[in-house]
Amino acid sequence: MKYLVQSIIKTIPVLLLITLIVFLLIRVTGDPVSLMLPETATEEERDSLRESMGLNEPLPIQYFTYLGELVTGDFGDSFRYNTDALSLVLERLPATFELAIASMIVAIVISVPLGILSAVKRNSFFDLFITGGAVLGKAMPNFWLGIMLILFLSVTFQIFPVSGRGTLGHLVLPAITLGTGIAAEMTRLIRSSMLEILEQDFIRTARSKGLGESIIVNKHAFRNALIPVVTIMALQTATLVGGTLITETVFAWPGLGQLLVQSVNLRDMAVVQAATFIIAIFVILSNLLADLIYRFLDPRIKYE
Amino acid sequence: MKKLLWVLLLVLTLVIAGCSGGETSSTEGEEPVETSDSKTLTIAMGTDIVTFDIHDHNTTSTEAVHVNMFNYLLTNDPEEGFQPDLAESWENIDDTTWSFKLREGVTFHNGEELTADDVKYTLERVAKDDTLLEHGNYNQIETVNVVSDYEFEIVTKNPEPALLNRLSRLGSGILPQEYIETEGWEVFLENPVGTGPYKFKEWKRDDRLTLEANTEYFGDAPKWEELVFRSIPEDSTRVSELLTGGVDVAVNIPPTDVERVNETEGVTTVQSPTQRVMMLVLRTDEDSVTGDPLVREAIDLAIDKQAIVDSLLEGAGTVTRTRVTPGNVGANEDLYGQTLYDPERARELLAEAGYPDGFELTLTGPNGRYLKDRETVELIAAMLSEVGITVNQELIEWSAFNQRYQERDFAEMFYIGYGNSMFDASLALDRLTIENAEGETDYDNQQVNDLLLAAEQNMDPEERVQQYQEAQEIIAEDRPQIYMFQLDAITGINERLDFEPLLNEMFYADSITLN
Repeated sequence: MKYLVQSIIKTIPVLLLITLIVFLLIRVTGDPVSLMLPETATEEERDSLRESMGLNEPLPIQYFTYLGELVTGDFGDSFRYNTDALSLVLERLPATFELAIASMIVAIVISVPLGILSAVKRNSFFDLFITGGAVLGKAMPNFWLGIMLILFLSVTFQIFPVSGRGTLGHLVLPAITLGTGIAAEMTRLIRSSMLEILEQDFIRTARSKGLGESIIVNKHAFRNALIPVVTIMALQTATLVGGTLITETVFAWPGLGQLLVQSVNLRDMAVVQAATFIIAIFVILSNLLADLIYRFLDPRIKYE
Repeated sequence: MKKLLWVLLLVLTLVIAGCSGGETSSTEGEEPVETSDSKTLTIAMGTDIVTFDIHDHNTTSTEAVHVNMFNYLLTNDPEEGFQPDLAESWENIDDTTWSFKLREGVTFHNGEELTADDVKYTLERVAKDDTLLEHGNYNQIETVNVVSDYEFEIVTKNPEPALLNRLSRLGSGILPQEYIETEGWEVFLENPVGTGPYKFKEWKRDDRLTLEANTEYFGDAPKWEELVFRSIPEDSTRVSELLTGGVDVAVNIPPTDVERVNETEGVTTVQSPTQRVMMLVLRTDEDSVTGDPLVREAIDLAIDKQAIVDSLLEGAGTVTRTRVTPGNVGANEDLYGQTLYDPERARELLAEAGYPDGFELTLTGPNGRYLKDRETVELIAAMLSEVGITVNQELIEWSAFNQRYQERDFAEMFYIGYGNSMFDASLALDRLTIENAEGETDYDNQQVNDLLLAAEQNMDPEERVQQYQEAQEIIAEDRPQIYMFQLDAITGINERLDFEPLLNEMFYADSITLN
């Protein structure tokens, strides 16, 4: 409990720093007014818009006003949608969660059996094949994989719908696109982690007791090999929430990622700030969760 | 080992289950042929609509959707001119007063009846509230006087010959006063109400907007039961949706995909002009090398615009020597479809101007804002180098470009494309008056200046057109702006539909019909 409270307190400066960085970055990279008005707009029109958006104030004042409102849960209004930024972001979370969870399932379903298998059959042709596949999976850019999947499975064979959100079928391609990269990483991690464990004394003891190989691998080795894997999984889940940017755009998936991409393009400051803040909270939370899961997996780890 | 096999089996089952799940759910609207009896029209846009506040956006693609929900007082047909819509008739009483008569018996989607009060409320809101993005296009209106339930007068601050153009474009949809005043804007934005042939059903941001037929519509009965506007930002995804029959119409097909779409059975592309004209803007002040008219002419003659259209745009554009293209009031059609290209003469002109060995200049262009903008600038630079002009290319990201554009901080030349939502020469040429050109082109031609200022407030339509046409002739010779080409829009459509894209890029669903 004490550990939890401490962790939560520690997150406050992190979040403050994030708000500052995002606040500054988005303001030095371009003027939203120029993106909102057509090329033919007059100087007067630009000025009055700038004024009404509060962009005339000096930066420190803008920042403190922003922080002050933040404390009350007010992230400001989206320029683009003319509505509360935080509710826009929260509205998108279910879609992004849905995609993130589905991708994680794809990743687990692929990586766990393959990782174990390639560790058990170390240096076989099979192992080589899986390891090679993992490198390939990691190297493929998401947008490319997404477009290729659409071309083959939607356009040529018409098995899955191209884009949008709705049925289970809509979920398959984006989940595979996102899940593949994570699966590749996790496969390699599970393999190396398993290899390390399989060499250890307690495994030798188990073998000498005459335990079946499958019990040794699945019960003794795998559970112990899970600890580093869980770290990566937790971190990846957080990245998934924020990292669905490209995949969501390719598949026109109405989630947080697409919202963030468009808001960055249009310098919709309030939305970018709210979205990064929420994503940051998820990253922090999932790190915390990973810590707690360690404890469950390995009771030797204690937090004081 | 046995357990591993089980795991593999489980994986396999999951994969198969996933596949079959997809198969059953994807049957709705995948094959182009099977959708042909459907009464739903699905249009894939590149971006979502921005808002339902028709006064607080300036996005053509948003307006393209709004026109199905709201009506203007009148519409502007490029061929037939102004046509009645909510207004039955109108008359220009004096320089600043216009009287209108409203159609009777029109109701909003919530059952409220349309009266002159709604018109007053709508137009005065945008004319008076300077925080609205469309305010600049309506603040010419002084007041709207309600004469009776169906009659009203619009009074402008100055003579405003382009008033009808303003009233037939973005921001002119008539809003229900009573609904908004009793329920508030928040409710209206969640549940917008207009007079149009389609009414609001559902909006999922960045996903889809669904409208349904308004059976009480005052005009011809709506042709579709449901309209779906989907937001698909990625070009290749939009093309794929079109190819699989997921959507009926897809906007902005990249030129490189045109062949692929046309070769697929059941879908095709249509090409149509837009209001955007790409151009080089040149400094004409004496300190700049481009201050010499001979140099500007040489630059114009050195660039093969048709080759750029053919190679980079795959033919999706029309060369022009004016910015005021057909369909706009004041267009000079003699200059449209024309282009000059004579590199030999360009070299002679440079020698005449005192640069037999050429010279150096800087050309700034945005990167990623317009179709093939970077490639175009590179090609222009290469063509200019052929006649001895060394071009320093400066390609910058749009928001940085725009910042310098506003500060008027470019060197000799920059590349830009202007649209024209007003369909009138006044907006197209207004950067070339002496006052507005300061710091940008520094173009200083008293004759052009006088013509533009006179035409701006001239209430005699014919004389006004002549003034604009004359100004365009002079500008084409003076070359403060060298016009390159008018961009075409390429739209992909399912062949079950009959669809002619409009110059104003609106999607009137009822003009899209089944074959």
